[in-house]
Amino acid sequence: MKMILLSSVGFYIGERVIVEKKAIQQGGFSNSNDKVKRMLTLSHITKRYQNTVVLNDISFDIPKGAVAGIIGPNGAGKSTILKIITGFEQSDSGDVIFEEKKLSLLDEKVALFSYMPEHLELYPDEYVADMIAFMQNATQYRDDALIEALGLNTVMSKRIRQLSKGYRQRLKLFFALSNRKEIVVLDEPFDGFDPIQLENILALIRKENANGRSFILSIHQLSDAEKICDYYILLNEGRLVAQGTIEVLQKKFGRKDGSLEQLFMAALR
Amino acid sequence: MRKLRILFIKELRSLFFSKTALLFLTILSFLTGYSFYSAVALYSNASVSAVGNPLYAAGFEPVSGLFVPLFGGLFILFSLFLPFVVIPLIISEKEQNTLTLLLQIPFSVAEILLAKVAAALLFLLSSFLMIVPATLIWWFYGGHIPFGELALLHTGYFLYGFFVVSVSLFSASLFKNSATASLLAIFLITSSWVIDFGKDMNISPLLLTLSEWTTTRMLHLFEIGIFSFPALFYFTGLSLLFLLLTRSFFAFKIESRRMISLWFQLVIVFAATLLMDKSVDVTESHKHSFPSHITAALQKLPPVEVNVYLRRTDSRFKDYEVTVLNRVRLVKNNVTVTMMSGAALDEKYGLFVYKTAGKEVETYSNSEEEIFPLLFGLTGISLDSEKEEKPFPGYPLVVDKSKLSVISVVYYLLIPLLFFAIFIIRRIHTKRRLSL
Repeated sequence: MKMILLSSVGFYIGERVIVEKKAIQQGGFSNSNDKVKRMLTLSHITKRYQNTVVLNDISFDIPKGAVAGIIGPNGAGKSTILKIITGFEQSDSGDVIFEEKKLSLLDEKVALFSYMPEHLELYPDEYVADMIAFMQNATQYRDDALIEALGLNTVMSKRIRQLSKGYRQRLKLFFALSNRKEIVVLDEPFDGFDPIQLENILALIRKENANGRSFILSIHQLSDAEKICDYYILLNEGRLVAQGTIEVLQKKFGRKDGSLEQLFMAALR
Repeated sequence: MRKLRILFIKELRSLFFSKTALLFLTILSFLTGYSFYSAVALYSNASVSAVGNPLYAAGFEPVSGLFVPLFGGLFILFSLFLPFVVIPLIISEKEQNTLTLLLQIPFSVAEILLAKVAAALLFLLSSFLMIVPATLIWWFYGGHIPFGELALLHTGYFLYGFFVVSVSLFSASLFKNSATASLLAIFLITSSWVIDFGKDMNISPLLLTLSEWTTTRMLHLFEIGIFSFPALFYFTGLSLLFLLLTRSFFAFKIESRRMISLWFQLVIVFAATLLMDKSVDVTESHKHSFPSHITAALQKLPPVEVNVYLRRTDSRFKDYEVTVLNRVRLVKNNVTVTMMSGAALDEKYGLFVYKTAGKEVETYSNSEEEIFPLLFGLTGISLDSEKEEKPFPGYPLVVDKSKLSVISVVYYLLIPLLFFAIFIIRRIHTKRRLSL
């Protein structure tokens, strides 16, 4: 009975995501009659560090069930916007709204988002097995399949500082995915992967996405973003340049079948 | 509670099995061994002429002669080295950005901090294990062990260590690198020493006032065998204040209203407890107490005002403070002392004026034998008959020089080897556990 119920829930989540995916591909909420439910809205976010404006009045929406890519060159404000979304940085003005509810406290955001910053050293002197056990004990959630999917079972007896960059990225992904939050926010998650590893990781993200989790990724490699994202936020020098699905962007910049790189270059001009 | 336990174990593991901790405990072993060896040698040499001489023997107390010097090693280590062990608990989280990870598990900032404080305090407690072999060796030599005073000494040093831990965590909460945090922590910890030095040099009246409230002065009360409630509350209150400050600066979110309220409550409690002037003489020799018939008479005495026409640095006042004033204050808390100044000071230099029950009496004496009859005569209080009290026998001990090598073997060889062995065994065990 329990199995039937669980598989029904899985089917429901899967079907709902497929419906939402189709809607995203059809253009998302580009007009007032939203085809897709807005999941996250950033409204007029501004952030300054001393006299430098890092984010300048940025507003965008992210649809539910999306794999949203925040795209932009170095210094565009990608990491800062992720920190503001997840509560680890305060904006000077503007709101972060999740399904009509304004989020202001770190606790509210922590309950919702799983965030892995770009610069996370983990605990270099700890063993991988001990850190995984710590995470599993603390969250009371065990997913051996996830460990295997990330290939971490082969490095369990190593200290974290002995791991290659790719494996450290996988461990970070493990932490991000194993706390079962609804929205996973990853800052430059594909750095350090070779093409084969990257394909495995992309497959894992697609699988998690198909199971109902939304992703917000900051990516500076446009080719990587194109492989996984179905929704884009384009930033440059702290300003929003464009947002939408690839189809919406192609339409906006008048380049039918244009690649993300071509669209981004067009947006910058 | 379960989550807190998991976090606490993680902190303990990273603290106890770090190379810094291993080095800290090894240095502590060397320092304690050195302090103990020197103290036993000195105590033993001085005891030679006291054995068989009851009058001289009464001056031999193991606490002041042996255990206080023994704790000297702990004092140096706590003041100058402990911050280097505690500060990485917070700084490493900042450097590695792992706080974001912990907060998302989710642990609250308070839970993260609490686990770190608990782990640091357990580490602090473990440092006291270094005193155990010394106590056992002393017992093996045939030395007397004054349990009450020893317990008081442990309490005082634990409170001092708690203060060092909280100052270190506070410093770490302010900065992102260990060097800067360590500098601030050591400055805050050793500022007491600077104030004490300033007081001894009579540099400024401000330093004189401040010196009444330094950590070293409060710790000294525990060393001389006085259990002082103000000193107890001073250390716990100060440590909690620094921990609250740590909580304010440590992480991303500051619930300002709640924090201000907590701050306010703590400051009030801190101030109120400091006013609770109650101290107890714990020494076996009762060296801070008067005979029981004098104590009874002093308790009957109405409030006393003393005008002292001496400079604080004058040796007569220092003697008076130690032999009369501090002891009277253990019995009576309604004695007010005013240090006179200006032209009157020079005119009446050396005079003590006592005012009680609307009368006053003057004397140049700073000795209890002169003062008490004057005071009791002034108020008409008669002394009860003196009870026969068992005199303190004293515990001189001559230790055979050949036996002193036990100390070197234990502290310079066995304990460091034990730490090293635990470190290596743990590494081998972990390797085996993980390769299974």
